Amino acid sequence: MNFNVMLQTMIPGMLRSFGIFSLTLLGALPLGMIVALLKKSRFVVVRGIISAYISIIRGTPLMLQLLVWYFGPFYLFRMNIGDWRFPALIFGFVVNYAAYFAEIYRGGIESIPVGQFEACEVLGYTKSQTFMRIILPQVIKRIMPAITNEVITLVKDTSLAFTLAYSEVFSLAKQISASQTSFTPFVIAGIFYFVANYVVAFIMSRIEKALDYYK
Amino acid sequence: MILEMNNIRKHFDGMEVLKDISFGVDSGEVVSIIGPSGSGKSTLLRCATFLETIDGGEIKYMDQVAAHTDEHGNAVYVGNHELHKFRSYCGLVFQQFNLFPHFSVLKNLIDAPVHVQRRSKEEATETAMELLAKMGLADRADAYPFQLSGGQQQRVAIARALAMKPEILFFDEPTSALDPELTGEVLKVIRQLAEVKMTMVVVTHEMPFAKAVSNRVLFMDGGVVVEQGDPHDVFDNPQEERTKQFLSVFER
Repeated sequence: MNFNVMLQTMIPGMLRSFGIFSLTLLGALPLGMIVALLKKSRFVVVRGIISAYISIIRGTPLMLQLLVWYFGPFYLFRMNIGDWRFPALIFGFVVNYAAYFAEIYRGGIESIPVGQFEACEVLGYTKSQTFMRIILPQVIKRIMPAITNEVITLVKDTSLAFTLAYSEVFSLAKQISASQTSFTPFVIAGIFYFVANYVVAFIMSRIEKALDYYK
Repeated sequence: MILEMNNIRKHFDGMEVLKDISFGVDSGEVVSIIGPSGSGKSTLLRCATFLETIDGGEIKYMDQVAAHTDEHGNAVYVGNHELHKFRSYCGLVFQQFNLFPHFSVLKNLIDAPVHVQRRSKEEATETAMELLAKMGLADRADAYPFQLSGGQQQRVAIARALAMKPEILFFDEPTSALDPELTGEVLKVIRQLAEVKMTMVVVTHEMPFAKAVSNRVLFMDGGVVVEQGDPHDVFDNPQEERTKQFLSVFER
């Protein structure tokens, strides 16, 4: 198999990697915000559940969580769901990354000076107006570096999908490398991840610049 | 009376910060509150503007009761919907300005009138530009707070409070975060407001200013009003020992 053929064979894998990446962000960014807001609930039970969730999810390997999601329904609950591979993968990634995003959001919100909240209160803004119009825009600017870190990590973490035998780019690289006894597929995969992260870093830096219209 | 605070009690974690404060403000009056740190001046202002809740006493705006004490001795506030109306009566200028950094100066002034008071953008912009012109900041309407000096930011903060057309304007040490050169421009604005009979309560350490501009001065210490009256009486002829002690520090 020559280089071009290897590359062609791996392209579907690259698309699948991109699929995991986008769906995870689409799910985890909003879910993380919900979790962060729930963590400030006035009900102790809610706060407790959320804290436990964040602690367990951040405290165990994502690889392990993917296996739990995939095998859990059948072995723990005796449920047979059919084609569960892809949904399990996405649930696993989204729930995992939401925990990290939740803590980033919390840090961002807590770094906003209390005076901003008080000015809103005195001016008569409702709680949701305060959050959406005044607090959240400032939080987004503050958390961009931390979010960038997580997104870059996510690009590389998509390779963990090989645990569930999902053919994203890393799995394919492994297969082709084994069958062709060549290291080249890994080089191709490496270049793919590097280029993907370069694009991510570029986009995030543009976003940071756009938000730099104020200090 | 625009504002009546009667027998206000407030404690934080068991420590009594306001011990039975009563005072009122009439339309067009300028009341200065002076006193050492920890005397409860800021807390009193924060209770008046509903940033803190009182533990006892009565708060009335325009003869309407916002909070009172029930038969068990607990402070009871009106519902959220009504409280909204009371909040619209008062404006507060903070020591730290608290402008919205991600909004331009103009947007800082029109955002609340448009989204809280539901006024039209055109009307809010007109009011905002008039206020900025009075402050001498009309040319900075599109600047962002970080581009302005402290004195300019505080004047924008005053304009932001005025844009809501409050009945009474509170100032919590408006010049304490400013260096002496910038203090003057802010005091000038407050003086102008006094001249057009804006009802105001100013917590300040600027004694000459308090003496010149107020109709009445309150000296607070340890959670009580120790002395109050006409500025010339309180400053030139203090009756209480604590007042004399406090004021002597300023006569260097």
